[in-house]
Amino acid sequence: MECDYCERRCRLGPESFGYCKMYRDEGGRATERFPDKWCAYGISRVETIPFYHAWPGARCLVVGTAGCNFNCRYCSNSEVVKVDPAGLMDVMLDIAPASLVDKARKHGCHAIVFAVNEPTVSLPTLARVADEARRAGIVMGCLTNGYGTPKSTKQLGEIFSFLNISLKGLSREFCVDYLSIPDAGPILRNIEALAATCHVEVTTPVIEGVNDHELDDMAAFLAGIRRDIPWHVFRLLPEYRMREEDYPSIEVVSAKVEAVGKRLDYVYFHNFIGSRWVNTLCPSCGAVAIERHSLGCGGDKLDTFHAAGGSCPLCGGRIALHGDHVAWNAKEATA
Amino acid sequence: MTLAILDARQWQQTVDLRSGRPADANGPLVPMVGEVLGRHPFPGDRDDASNAWVTDTALDFVRHYDPGFAFLSYSQQYYSSRYGALPPEVRRAYVDNAFAEAARFARESGMTTVLVGTGELVPAADAIDLEDLDGLAVSSNWCAHYAGIYNPSRRDLERLSRHPHITRVVSKKDILEQFGGGPDDGSRLPDHMAVAARGCYFKGTSLRRLVMIPEPSDVIPVSQNLGPAPTILDIRPRLLDLLAAGNRVALAIIEGVGCSEFPAPYTTCENGKDWLRYEPGDAQFLAISTGRHPIFQHNGGYRYYLDDGERKPYPFSGYFKELPDGVIGKAYPGRSIAVGNRSMFMHVCTGCDVTCECFARNLYNQGLMAVLFRQDKAVS
Repeated sequence: MECDYCERRCRLGPESFGYCKMYRDEGGRATERFPDKWCAYGISRVETIPFYHAWPGARCLVVGTAGCNFNCRYCSNSEVVKVDPAGLMDVMLDIAPASLVDKARKHGCHAIVFAVNEPTVSLPTLARVADEARRAGIVMGCLTNGYGTPKSTKQLGEIFSFLNISLKGLSREFCVDYLSIPDAGPILRNIEALAATCHVEVTTPVIEGVNDHELDDMAAFLAGIRRDIPWHVFRLLPEYRMREEDYPSIEVVSAKVEAVGKRLDYVYFHNFIGSRWVNTLCPSCGAVAIERHSLGCGGDKLDTFHAAGGSCPLCGGRIALHGDHVAWNAKEATA
Repeated sequence: MTLAILDARQWQQTVDLRSGRPADANGPLVPMVGEVLGRHPFPGDRDDASNAWVTDTALDFVRHYDPGFAFLSYSQQYYSSRYGALPPEVRRAYVDNAFAEAARFARESGMTTVLVGTGELVPAADAIDLEDLDGLAVSSNWCAHYAGIYNPSRRDLERLSRHPHITRVVSKKDILEQFGGGPDDGSRLPDHMAVAARGCYFKGTSLRRLVMIPEPSDVIPVSQNLGPAPTILDIRPRLLDLLAAGNRVALAIIEGVGCSEFPAPYTTCENGKDWLRYEPGDAQFLAISTGRHPIFQHNGGYRYYLDDGERKPYPFSGYFKELPDGVIGKAYPGRSIAVGNRSMFMHVCTGCDVTCECFARNLYNQGLMAVLFRQDKAVS
């Protein structure tokens, strides 16, 4: 049978598991091989993931499973993502959806965020977590590469109310060489579809001299959907098969980001310590509406929130936000 | 204001350490420190050149600041062994390299260099899964042997006490009694602490598979040039004695190495108190640096994320929301430096005038951070 979770559309059999190795054919249905198995969970700030415009300040239970449908040269989590999931089962955590949600509650979390690997490879488990989370009043978000089929992308949008989609590159050459996918068409289609129903932020890791010439086209694409889609331009952290390569120049990339950034209301340049490009400025008057610290992939932090009610503190103009500002220990009392 | 210089490779930003906000880079040491950072990009926690980076960077500071005391950490062999299945000869080579780098520092700086091993590593044999407690179990990526237990049910406590891989469950009340704490000292202690048996670890939140974990050792080796130090708390006063006698002294922490692999003549010192044995980490660094057991503040079971809210002070200091007092760098009146590949511990746990650390979090290499606690000594 053909798997319809992602656009690879792998052939599945009882003992053939597709590119991500997370599904099998069970009686004509694509079935998860490792339901309710988690590689890790941890407590994190929503800004770390990063979400800058969803539930600012919220404490999140960050979770992940195993496997991925991409093979990015610079994968940051290759020790979980690039190995056969079957070989990880002795160290995976076995937590049923209700228990995972209960764990989020005990830790005083406002949200559960799937952020280690690709959610499309564990969609049935995540759907059951979402059912439990909804009953508990816990919201759910995720990072995704956006390479799902239309059917699974619709389901992704039903499970998660806020998503950060990675738009890594546009050219076919880049997609083949750096991601091992044929083209970015499905990703562009899914960004548009998800932005119509959910809160969407977009992240682009920049590799100097490789995909930085596409920044203007990416900004134009996003602006064509909505100017207020927050765009996170990442300085690439060379990992995995790019570990020996140079770090991109912050001066060079920041100049390019500033040149194209006028197309969008909220453009950030970070993923390195001390970035100066992580505050939210009011699109109308330029006042600082939300202040943050950048700690690189170790996690960004909310410093001060000035945008009460989604309004600029200076001119009262609209600051696009999904959800309210959440005090960090707000849920401790009920944990 | 205490300045921190963040170096993300070919790009630096100076901030106020306490607020984390950009600050004017002024003071007599700022240009020199920025240049040292620029000359020594960090190769990575597990990179073969990581320990050489410590020596090279520290020697650069010695040339330009002439300190009387240096606090160094060599940690590459610890990180590599913790997460990688190393053949014995590779492990041996890494340990040899750490000591060779400490020796190179001693030779080229001319400082009396005291070596301290932080204890043996053993294979990570059995994981302890506490996911189905009625209460909450908290363990961290970097602490294998201790878990904080919150709101346990009677069933939880019975289960923990019968668990074959847990040696002890200690109540908050008992910890306070054993370590001389008063009623105000328990706010960062969990309701109970569970202690894992040798070779066992609490299944934590790490993405990476643990290969070797701290024993943790009853005793740790200290090179004989320090003189007798019966317990870990005695290292600090002995170092201060050497410094007061006019010696230029370096302390080199060699992580993940116990008596069995220590190549220099050594004496042993107790690595804890009662049931507590230190793993390489914040509590062990602080015990060495302050001469006190820091269990009330740093115990492996505290829910550190409670402190991590908006406007948290010291945002570039990890989970620390205040800098510990009584650290050795503050007690020494002469010039001091700290350099190490043990990230934030170098500035938080040493208090030296100028500290330089890798800004690596969970082994991701973000660059470097230097903290300038004292610039006034540069002109004295």
